[in-house]
Amino acid sequence: MLTKTRGVKELLEEVIDAGLCAVCGACVGDCPYLVFYKGKIRMLDFCTRSEGHCYEYCPRTFTDMGMLSNKIYGVPYTGSEIGTVKDIFMARAKDARVRSKAQYGGSVSALLSLALDEGIISKAILAKTTRDKLPAGYVATSPKEVLECAGSNYMAYPALEALNRIPRESKDKLGIVLTPCQSLSLAKMRSLPPTQRVNMANIQVVVGLFCTWALAYDSFYEFLKDNLDLPRVKKFDIPPPPANRFDVFIGKEKKSYSLDEVRQYRMPTCAYCLDMTAEFSDISVGSVEGVEGWNTVIVRTQRGADIIDAAKKKGRLEVDALPAQNLTHLKEASMLKKTRALKEIIKRTGDKNNLLYLGMAQDVRDKLLA
Amino acid sequence: MATIDIDAPGTSQLFIGNEAIARGALEAGVGFASAYPGTPSSEIIGSLAEIAKQKNIYVEWSVNEKVALEAATAASYAGIRALAAMKMNGLNVASDFLATVILSGIGKKGLVLMVGDDPAAHSSSNEEDSRAIAKWFDIPLLEPGDFQEAKDMMKWLYDLSEEIGSICILRSVTRVAHARGNVKLGEIPKVDHKARFENILDPKNTLPTSIMTIPSSLRHAFQHMKLDKAREKFESSSFNKYVGPERPDLLIVTCGSGWLYSQDAVNALKIENGVGILKLGTLWPLPEKLVKSCLSRTDKVLFIEETDPFLEGAIMEYSASMSPESRRNIYYGKHTRHLNAFGELTPDAVIKAITTILNIKYETREADYAKKLEAVPQGYTMERMLTFCAGCPHRASYWAIKNALRMDGRDGFVTGDIGCYSMALGPAGFFQNRTHQCMGAGTGLANGFGQLWRFGFDQPVIAVAGDSTFYHSIVPALINGVHNKANFVLVIFDNSATAMTGFQPHPGTELTAMGEPAAPISMENICKAIGARVEVCDPFDLKKTTDTLLDLLEQKSGTRVAIMRRPCELVRGKKEKHPYKMKILQDKCLGEDCGCNRLCTRIFRCPALVWDPGIGKTRIDEVICNECGVCADICPEEAIIKEAVLV
Amino acid sequence: MKQLSKDPINLIVSGVGGQGNVMVSLVVGNALVSEGYFITVGETYGASQRGGSVMSHVKISARKQYSPLIPEGQADIILGMEPVETLRMLKQFGNSRVITIVNPRPIHAIDITGGGGGYPDMEQLLSWIKDLSAKTYVVAATEEAQNMGNPILANMILIGALVQSALLPIEESSIEKVIKQMFPKDVVVNTKALKKGMELAGHQAG
Repeated sequence: MLTKTRGVKELLEEVIDAGLCAVCGACVGDCPYLVFYKGKIRMLDFCTRSEGHCYEYCPRTFTDMGMLSNKIYGVPYTGSEIGTVKDIFMARAKDARVRSKAQYGGSVSALLSLALDEGIISKAILAKTTRDKLPAGYVATSPKEVLECAGSNYMAYPALEALNRIPRESKDKLGIVLTPCQSLSLAKMRSLPPTQRVNMANIQVVVGLFCTWALAYDSFYEFLKDNLDLPRVKKFDIPPPPANRFDVFIGKEKKSYSLDEVRQYRMPTCAYCLDMTAEFSDISVGSVEGVEGWNTVIVRTQRGADIIDAAKKKGRLEVDALPAQNLTHLKEASMLKKTRALKEIIKRTGDKNNLLYLGMAQDVRDKLLA
Repeated sequence: MATIDIDAPGTSQLFIGNEAIARGALEAGVGFASAYPGTPSSEIIGSLAEIAKQKNIYVEWSVNEKVALEAATAASYAGIRALAAMKMNGLNVASDFLATVILSGIGKKGLVLMVGDDPAAHSSSNEEDSRAIAKWFDIPLLEPGDFQEAKDMMKWLYDLSEEIGSICILRSVTRVAHARGNVKLGEIPKVDHKARFENILDPKNTLPTSIMTIPSSLRHAFQHMKLDKAREKFESSSFNKYVGPERPDLLIVTCGSGWLYSQDAVNALKIENGVGILKLGTLWPLPEKLVKSCLSRTDKVLFIEETDPFLEGAIMEYSASMSPESRRNIYYGKHTRHLNAFGELTPDAVIKAITTILNIKYETREADYAKKLEAVPQGYTMERMLTFCAGCPHRASYWAIKNALRMDGRDGFVTGDIGCYSMALGPAGFFQNRTHQCMGAGTGLANGFGQLWRFGFDQPVIAVAGDSTFYHSIVPALINGVHNKANFVLVIFDNSATAMTGFQPHPGTELTAMGEPAAPISMENICKAIGARVEVCDPFDLKKTTDTLLDLLEQKSGTRVAIMRRPCELVRGKKEKHPYKMKILQDKCLGEDCGCNRLCTRIFRCPALVWDPGIGKTRIDEVICNECGVCADICPEEAIIKEAVLV
Repeated sequence: MKQLSKDPINLIVSGVGGQGNVMVSLVVGNALVSEGYFITVGETYGASQRGGSVMSHVKISARKQYSPLIPEGQADIILGMEPVETLRMLKQFGNSRVITIVNPRPIHAIDITGGGGGYPDMEQLLSWIKDLSAKTYVVAATEEAQNMGNPILANMILIGALVQSALLPIEESSIEKVIKQMFPKDVVVNTKALKKGMELAGHQAG
């Protein structure tokens, strides 16, 4: 069975009240009973259905990784460090203006702008932050709007809510940028497509973002609000180890906080996440350790490869080979996340055979624990 | 309402009890009448207000019952016959003044207080038998047994009130005050009302000059003397009568609604020859001689009255003082559980009591018909829960309140109050009201909750109140909140009417009881002057109202006010045409599927939205729909369409 | 004023709050008072206006004033403005001689349980009503009223049916007099509705 189907009662018990919610947004936007407000999923009324999309698509309800991998990629789930890889390299936006607004290399902005210009997609769903730096799903229809969404702010937010709000009849071709947990949920959605929600066939490209953990929308926001004049903040950054810093760029100044202090605002659910490189996507994008201003790009599907080619041809993206040690470090870091998370899960359940929301073959599990 | 000033003395009209009382007031030459709306008493001032101008009398909807009684008393002091009317809860509100006016006395002209009780609480929050106050405060009290008496007692009461110099009470219940029956009309006298406050006290009161309650014990003793005078008159009053055989097997002692029920029961059982009925109209003080002589007719006595064993207790108390030879009766009634001391009196209850005592067999219907009834499944007559009318702004207000509290996520709740919005105790208002007592109680409770933060309390509290309720009793509680820094949000539902009781005006509306223009007294100005933060919203703008509430809840401390302003649908509908044309796109309606699960009929529950299980879709009942358009805003699929109608 | 074959005659008008129960009993009551009868009407209103079950008990007598409540099992006529309410009255006040006039237009109750139970099957409902009455008139008053342009005219149509059934000693002329007194601005349309009701009931005579 690909996913288990239950209803909101079980969703509350198993995920939301159990502290596992990743606020990915899969359960909001389409349902009138669940809303995202001030960092949490809230229930307005009780839906009496015993089965629903909310439970079905949640990335923290039972997920059979093997069947999911098969459905999306046609390959079994092996627990490999960085998932399915067609190609992996370094890249950055050719346009310096794009790079100046970006977190690292601006590849995501460049790819989506290209996709819009070429008509591959007509709408892109990304995260846009408010004046107070709170992120929300945003539907961009032009490269200008895409660029306004550039930059990471490290907070978990319900990206899929924006996708769910798109009506069934819409003929728009969609591109979407998601974190690993959000993309896991989308993978569940695409493998068991809903008939009354946005048409999954409209999704042309999924861009995944590398992620070690995300910060809690409500408590982290309180911390920021107490310490900073938020509208003046230009950018957040977590430089690679051994820096152990969380940097905030205000105007021309930079303020640094100890990463240990900021870590306390992590979402509890991130401790149980095995995916660092957004394994369920067409293209995954992250930083390059030690190389400022560039992205690590993993291409996983033909669709992803086609868009990369188009971007290169149209002079939007420049690429280079990823240094071998970067690849090694990436694989190590990614595997470390898997192992740690699996151990945390088993510690929580107290039973090696109960992997909380994960369904995987025993040998895969054992390999990851070794 | 019938116009009660019909100039047709000697003819019979169909009046409700309250109209009969109002007519009685006119025939008694009353010049001043005041009240606060309350079921079952509202029609008295309501019908007097309609003819006040042409009859040259003054009629007022007062802001609350205490002021109503005080205002009427002033008229009595100035030489004008006056009437104050209220439901039993209003009596509670006015009781402090009542307790003192008993001692301070009235003026040269009579003062009557009408109290309407609501047994079974058809339209009330509690069940209360007001007659106890007659005994408690030493006030003469009459209760009409039918519609004719309701009228005729009024003139008699004014004469009594003036003769003994005391306020008198006319008490009635729903089944007399709100029932309709034949009333033969009398003449309405032409009274040239001249008001003047005599600065020397009425000589009958015989004590020093000011109208006051002291020395209290002495004045208390005087009130007892007045009661003795009243008792003498009661002994020969035509409102007390005995019907039946000289020596019945059973004596029924009854009053008020019990009078007609007892007669009906005796007729139905065909035992007129064996049962006698003593019907009392003058209940307090007890006409002891008359009672004693009736009690001697037989041994078995059954008391029929509602709701408390008032007469029952008084007569049993009195009989304890009778000589042993006279004391030979067996009393049946509420204390013997032949009748309930709670709930409404019915002819069936009386029949049951009589058949039990006299061991008579009685079948309500033929046995084979009863069998047929048993075969009808329970589900065919489903319960109809009360709900807000289609188009009611309260439904929209409570939708916003429910959503705001759930989004806020701190387990907040609503303390309820009195009005149509009281129905938010149930599905109509999504079960939001968590407490319910009397007028003003919601804000009073919120004041208490608002101080408990020092004991770890962190739940947001929303007190609700209607517009009429606001002027009646919320203002002092709001002042208390601001002065003592209580943390709560007060939501005022401003629907421009005292809707529950029949759309009477109040200080926030533009008219008085008599139809004179009034400058509406701004509730937001009052709240601001008190020092609360005030926001005004239109409940039909769900998004803005929800956001405003969220903002107020976020503030967490201080006394905050949100006024939800939109006229009652029944008021609006009389003046304007419907604003929208509504329809449901069947192909967009998800019905029970994921993404909806019948939000509109299962949760929102407007009575105009009907779930059709046959087709699995919702449709609109165009007879009930008032086309307010709110449902179009809550449908998650935008399947409900509102098209603006061009005027 | 005639002597009545049964004294008092017990009439129940039943419906849902907001349908106009009070108006029906008022029109019938006023007409009969003007003919010299004793009329007592007991109703539940106030809170019940808002979608609850309402009933008016009307007692007609040539001799005296009766109480405002009809005892269990003692209805002579049931004028049901709504089918479920009609059955509800039959259950409590019906007997083997009761005559029923019913308007077959359902009014749904709000879903209290959330189970979407829905309205009972109309055919079955009407069949029970007929089974529990000595005679039944089914008068599609709301439908006719909608054809006439205003659903509230259903009340007057049902009064017409009551007049036609001759169960009460009311003359058509008495009702017309009451219409002129109570609805001076709408005499024509109300009279038309009254006649329509008489016509509809007339088709079901025998």
